[in-house]
Amino acid sequence: MSTINWLFEINFAIFSVFLVLFVTELMGGVLLLVAYDATKSKVLPYIVPIWEVTGTFAAFWVVTADFAYPQMLWPVATMLAAPILVFLILIIARNSSITFAELIFRRGRLNERRLYRLYGLATVGIGLVVLIILSAIVSGAGVTLGANPTFSPWGWVTSGGSLLYVVGVLFIAVGLAPVFYNIEPLRRLSVPLTTLGVVIEAGALYLYSSSLLTGYFLVPAVLTVAAALLYAVRSTAPIASQKVVFATLGAIIIFAQSYLVYPTAFATAAHGPLSVDAVTTSGPMVGAFYVLSAVGLVVVGLLMVLYMLAVRRATPVPPGPPAPVPPVPAAHSP
Amino acid sequence: MTSIVDFDRFLFAFTIGSHILIVSLSIGMALMICISEFLFARSKDKYYGALVRRLIRPFVVSFGIGTASGIVMAVELVNLFPRFMTLVSQTGVIAIFYTEIFAFFVETVFLVVYVYYGSTFKGRYTRWALTVPIVVGTLLSAVLIVMVNAWMNTPNGFDIGSYVASGTNYTVTGVDPWAPFLTVSTGYEVFHVLTSVPLTGVMILGGFFAYRYTRSTTAEEKTLFLQGLRIAVAVSFVLVVLAILAGVVEIDDLYRYQPLKYAAIELNAQPGTNLPMTIFGTVSGTSVVGGIQIPGLQGWLEHGANLPGLSQYPQSAWPPLIIHETFDVMILGAVVLGLFVLFYAGLWVLKRRPFERPILAYAFLAASALTAVVMELGWATDEIGRQPWIVYNTLTVANAANPNSDLVGPGIVIIILYIALIPFTLWFMDRVFRGKPIAVDLEGPAAGGHDVNY
Repeated sequence: MSTINWLFEINFAIFSVFLVLFVTELMGGVLLLVAYDATKSKVLPYIVPIWEVTGTFAAFWVVTADFAYPQMLWPVATMLAAPILVFLILIIARNSSITFAELIFRRGRLNERRLYRLYGLATVGIGLVVLIILSAIVSGAGVTLGANPTFSPWGWVTSGGSLLYVVGVLFIAVGLAPVFYNIEPLRRLSVPLTTLGVVIEAGALYLYSSSLLTGYFLVPAVLTVAAALLYAVRSTAPIASQKVVFATLGAIIIFAQSYLVYPTAFATAAHGPLSVDAVTTSGPMVGAFYVLSAVGLVVVGLLMVLYMLAVRRATPVPPGPPAPVPPVPAAHSP
Repeated sequence: MTSIVDFDRFLFAFTIGSHILIVSLSIGMALMICISEFLFARSKDKYYGALVRRLIRPFVVSFGIGTASGIVMAVELVNLFPRFMTLVSQTGVIAIFYTEIFAFFVETVFLVVYVYYGSTFKGRYTRWALTVPIVVGTLLSAVLIVMVNAWMNTPNGFDIGSYVASGTNYTVTGVDPWAPFLTVSTGYEVFHVLTSVPLTGVMILGGFFAYRYTRSTTAEEKTLFLQGLRIAVAVSFVLVVLAILAGVVEIDDLYRYQPLKYAAIELNAQPGTNLPMTIFGTVSGTSVVGGIQIPGLQGWLEHGANLPGLSQYPQSAWPPLIIHETFDVMILGAVVLGLFVLFYAGLWVLKRRPFERPILAYAFLAASALTAVVMELGWATDEIGRQPWIVYNTLTVANAANPNSDLVGPGIVIIILYIALIPFTLWFMDRVFRGKPIAVDLEGPAAGGHDVNY
């Protein structure tokens, strides 16, 4: 009887929340880049108060990953030293550009518009680096494990599904962006782009290894297309574009892809794949992880409730239906 | 190989050196905002409200840049020193990092609620209450990181002997996940950081207010900067006394638990009980040459304890002796700083209006820069003093570091980015603090999100 690796499950759940927050930023970043004036009123009120929270969830995931897989730190650092530092350069660019954009009051060359678009560019860049790293972990493309682990960018590029994997995710992100940000003029693009993205993803996984394209893929695939379909139908569109609903659905979609890295990751790597159970921490540290996770999740949960209450207080109440006009009493004829 | 290790070392030192400067400013501003909100709630003095409105803007900037440099630091630890983080993650030290994340969440969420949605809370005391967890979160983050540093200096919580004996297998056994939360040096280091880091931030703000006061042309602006200066001087006065006390007790801890580092920073060539205090100078062979020696002072400060000397250790194990100079400059700077704050506060108490004298405004500005130098030198002394170890007597930097040369290129880009970003951030903070006419800032509630571009 197999047992559940709870450390993996918890870590992947935190990763799912981080990634869905990041993807919502990525979708906003793309919109700011391609149609700043048309979309800023929808995108910025969401992104400006949330980007710090996304960063905090990123740190949350990194620390839980350190906690859960200590034996993986040396191979990951030696393999991915350069991409990780490129990721950090883009993080500096993202944080500084949005911070300055929020508060700049000059209207010269360095202005709000340019800084927000720079933020969008940096976020898309981060997205690309994250996708390269994630696809390498899923597929093992360009990766050699063993005593001296290495990552070859050229090996990754020339591997069957890599570029398709990135293109597929970008299609999905662009397809779902109108859903999340409720961009009415792009409504009709949502279903075709999202569906095409899912099909491309399936193709990418198949090209990596047919073992990655199993029945489990149907769950995230159907849910992703369902989000776009809900938005396409006018009566259900308001539900799909509810931020909390979308984020919850997104986290479920990402979590449903955990089968791609568990029980083994780096599917086609030389000297691979890697058994996740074999590199998961054990002994007294597991108990400490559970205790801290339980306490921490309560703290984070309460903080998220506080955050949502504050957002709700600040959200203007939409005007209700006009009050019924009292019937005019019939004029008495003299 | 050695050059890559040195590059890892330099890159991390550079990024953490920049990070602590921004973070100390964030902590100082969080403290000032919290105090100003309270005074605004209590007195309804609109100048305190205006001070809050103005401080929020640079605070958002420092927090945003600080978050970036914090993430850079956290990821660099894994990327540049993976063997160190492997040890950390196999012992209870990772539990400290994990706890830090929750402190960071408290800080972030309350900051977001306070800055962007603060105006929806009508009660003045409610808005003040929102600032308290921000201060607690920022201080707790600093405390938890220093707990990691304390563990690096005086490790515990696993079988160190077996780990060292296992050689390149790096086998960790006998783990106690909670022990690293309290090493023999944790209390001293936490006390030191809880006083010195906020002091740096508040002093920098004090210098800024003192300088801006003398440059102000309107009565409103003068009143605003004076209110800020009053808070900064009062807080600095308390913190500088506590910081000096914390430094003294930390030295006591050092000679007991890190004797070699102690001998190097005090430049004790030989051990003994009635040792002199040596200011500057160097070691030649088995004796100290040059510098100024004050006979018996060190022995007196350490209550006649038997103090360690460098001769007790092989020269190959000594840390770079530059830490004696960095330590001396830090101590001299701290003394000058303490005397200046006492003098300035004393003049104010005696109603001699020190803020009216431009020379003292410039002196305050210089003192605030000195505080940053003292803090950076204190950190450098601690870190260089532990060399060649990353975890004292357990794991060397050379064995912990990432030997992959691919990180040099992007690492240089990060250094260049920081060289441009840190001064620009400080300049930008000044601009946004003074960005709106004083009349605008004197209106409306303190917090709110009205000033953000979205």
